[in-house]
Amino acid sequence: MKKKWIYLLLTACLLWSCSGNEEQTLVLNSEADLSGLRIATQSGSCYDIELSPRTDIELQRFNTLSDAIQALRHGNADVLLNDEMALNAYICREQGIKPILRGEKAYPTSFMFQKDDKVFPEAFSATLKRLKAEGTYDRIIDYWLNDRYIDADTFPSIPVPTEGEPIRVANVCATAPLSFMSGGEWYGLEMDLLREFANDLNRPLDIKFYDVTAAIMSIKTNKADILSGGVFITPERQQEFSFGEPYYDFHSTYFALDRDSENNKGGFVARCKHAIQKNLIAEDRWRFVTDGLLLTLIISFFAILFGSLFGIVVYRMGESRLRWARSIAKVYNGFIAGIPELVLLLVLFYVVFAKSGLSAEVVAIIAFAMCFASSAADIYKTALDAVPHGQTEAGLALGFTPVQTFFNIIFPQAVKRGLPLYKGLCINILKATSIVGYIAIQDLTRAGDLIRSRTFDALVPLLVVTVLYFLLVWLLTALFNLATKKKKVL
Amino acid sequence: MITVSHLSKTYHNADGSSLTVLKDINCEIQRGEVISIIGPSGTGKSTFLRALNLLDPPTGGSIIVDGEDILVNANANAIAKLRQKMGMVFQSFNLFEHMTVLENVMYAPVKIRKESKEQAREEALALLKKVGLVEKADVYPSSLSGGQKQRVAIARALAMHPEAILFDEPTSALDPTMVGEVLSVIRQLAKSGLTMLIVTHEMRFARDVSTRIFFMNEGIIYEDGTPEQIFDHPVHSATKAFVNRIQKLVFEIDSDDFDYLQIHTGINQFCLKYNLTQGEHAYALIKEVLFTHMLTIRPLTLRMTHAELSGVTAVDFMVENMDHSPLSDAARASLRPQVKDLIEEPTTRGFRVKLII
Repeated sequence: MKKKWIYLLLTACLLWSCSGNEEQTLVLNSEADLSGLRIATQSGSCYDIELSPRTDIELQRFNTLSDAIQALRHGNADVLLNDEMALNAYICREQGIKPILRGEKAYPTSFMFQKDDKVFPEAFSATLKRLKAEGTYDRIIDYWLNDRYIDADTFPSIPVPTEGEPIRVANVCATAPLSFMSGGEWYGLEMDLLREFANDLNRPLDIKFYDVTAAIMSIKTNKADILSGGVFITPERQQEFSFGEPYYDFHSTYFALDRDSENNKGGFVARCKHAIQKNLIAEDRWRFVTDGLLLTLIISFFAILFGSLFGIVVYRMGESRLRWARSIAKVYNGFIAGIPELVLLLVLFYVVFAKSGLSAEVVAIIAFAMCFASSAADIYKTALDAVPHGQTEAGLALGFTPVQTFFNIIFPQAVKRGLPLYKGLCINILKATSIVGYIAIQDLTRAGDLIRSRTFDALVPLLVVTVLYFLLVWLLTALFNLATKKKKVL
Repeated sequence: MITVSHLSKTYHNADGSSLTVLKDINCEIQRGEVISIIGPSGTGKSTFLRALNLLDPPTGGSIIVDGEDILVNANANAIAKLRQKMGMVFQSFNLFEHMTVLENVMYAPVKIRKESKEQAREEALALLKKVGLVEKADVYPSSLSGGQKQRVAIARALAMHPEAILFDEPTSALDPTMVGEVLSVIRQLAKSGLTMLIVTHEMRFARDVSTRIFFMNEGIIYEDGTPEQIFDHPVHSATKAFVNRIQKLVFEIDSDDFDYLQIHTGINQFCLKYNLTQGEHAYALIKEVLFTHMLTIRPLTLRMTHAELSGVTAVDFMVENMDHSPLSDAARASLRPQVKDLIEEPTTRGFRVKLII
């Protein structure tokens, strides 16, 4: 019964995502023609700022580029404003959209460095100068910006040193042609430039995929040296960070739904097949999902394990005869209750353990174990208090020692009462781990983001991730139900 | 078997105040004795019993069991060993709710005495048969009545082959209709030669079943003797007052508008509390007297009394400032066949009609 509903939901979503109709592709001759149209853009982006003064258009602001594309595809917007680098020919083809007008405005783009850093920006300028002199620069630009990579199975990659102190790169872009992952490796225009740069400095590269906010934090807290991902150089940013010499000026570009695209035609089955091919099979993208799933499982498992154990300590302190121990437990519980998990995670990663050298995964386990312990202590108390004191007395009077009494008589009864609560807590923590992407861990949720940023298809990756979380929770519930089955005491 | 000397117990509260429950307990208990501990509430009867198996460890004195002082060098294992020799039955039963009746009885023998499951099961079933609950072996305690639970608790204590059993008010939490079944099980046990200490409020049961009675008052054993000594010839006035105490229920009837439904409820509760069966009979008699024989006589005081030890229950009607019986010959003739005795007596304040029922 349950399964039927999942299939129904999946089908409905796919149908909706693939719906389209027979019309002509929009034509624009100049930016003046935009008047009266609905224009989708990314909120807070340069294009948002660029269009804001115009009163004759309906501006729609979306949080992510893929949301904006989906709006265009589903007819909620007429035109999409972005730039030629993010929405390259590959994505246009996959999404069934096409550029219809090149905007007036251009944006110089480069890498972003720490504010007081003088060495890296100058070194990068030197690298850029060398590449331009050699002609390598023109080759790189031609390959990535003229869509030569679109149908390639493998991409050119320049070897970099493996020995020495790595250059730490916080990358916020996982989209061709700038930087994208394929088969566990980073490729793209910026990656080529970075590799040349690393070769000039004779140091290896350590590239991590970050959320934008987290990336900015990591540059400010000296957890990364370079922020990459197509950063436009703006005066505001120049006050807070330093930039290398711009390697390209990207033009803003208007996109519309391509009525002639095969992606907007074809039968339902063909479109489903294409969606699966694109999102999961191409470039072995299912690997993102399986790797993410494994990380989610590992983090949840250890968070639950250590959280359960630490919960015992918190519980014992809360019940202690010593006033100071009770106070610590109280403050701890209040502290955990008062902070969102995400904030705790960020504080631990960027402040508390900033200099410890602990990996992000370990920090995540610590953060979730801390949250888990606080709630677990509450559950222990509720469950143990629910066992009447008479049960202890009866056990003692029969001749069990206090320890035997606890494990033979009190504990089994407490488990029966506490397990439903404990199960809920485990499920909660499993789902809560979906925020670890903020500290650059590629868990299951992040895997969906990675695929989406490559294919610009919002629905299929999200559906896959949703179904997997659902199955995980279902599995966990089944495990607990197995454990609560009535067993013979003797 | 057990020698208790100068045993005391003081509770220290968090606010610095303290409460001495046991002052100076001295006694000697021989193997095979059945001792009932009686006395007013709050005199430390239960505390004394719980001190003997160290559930409430005493704060002073000594308890010598089989020649060894259990308060010296008492580690967890030694205490557990002691408790295995001394079973306990609680007021609130304390059956293990997550186990079946059979598991409750055989759990400790299997876990502590390391008996084989087959042997433990056989013994447990024999014990359940003894307390009349073998058919309930596979149900969970939650589906049993209070009396049944207490009988299982007794079987559970017996399963460890204790040398003595401590009964802590075994019938106080029971519905009056169930007291009998539990008492009859204990009565049976008393005959078997097992050493028993019973804290109880059931005076007649205590007199019938015990070889010795401890009367406890104000934290000490006030009087110690055979049931005949304590109940028939008590030495101390406090003992005398306690064993002869009479339970009363009083209603003042000033006019005909009195709340007779309240009398009905009152009598029912009174009878339930002292396990009396004459409630409806008493109410019928009261109605007859008030509305037929003494209809014109107001105000009067109606009392129902019950002497616990002798078991005598009576209803009396007290009329002030009257020097002759208010009953007519016809009334006497009507009442006499319904009661054990009819007493008409003048008192200092007036005249009393007493119906022994």
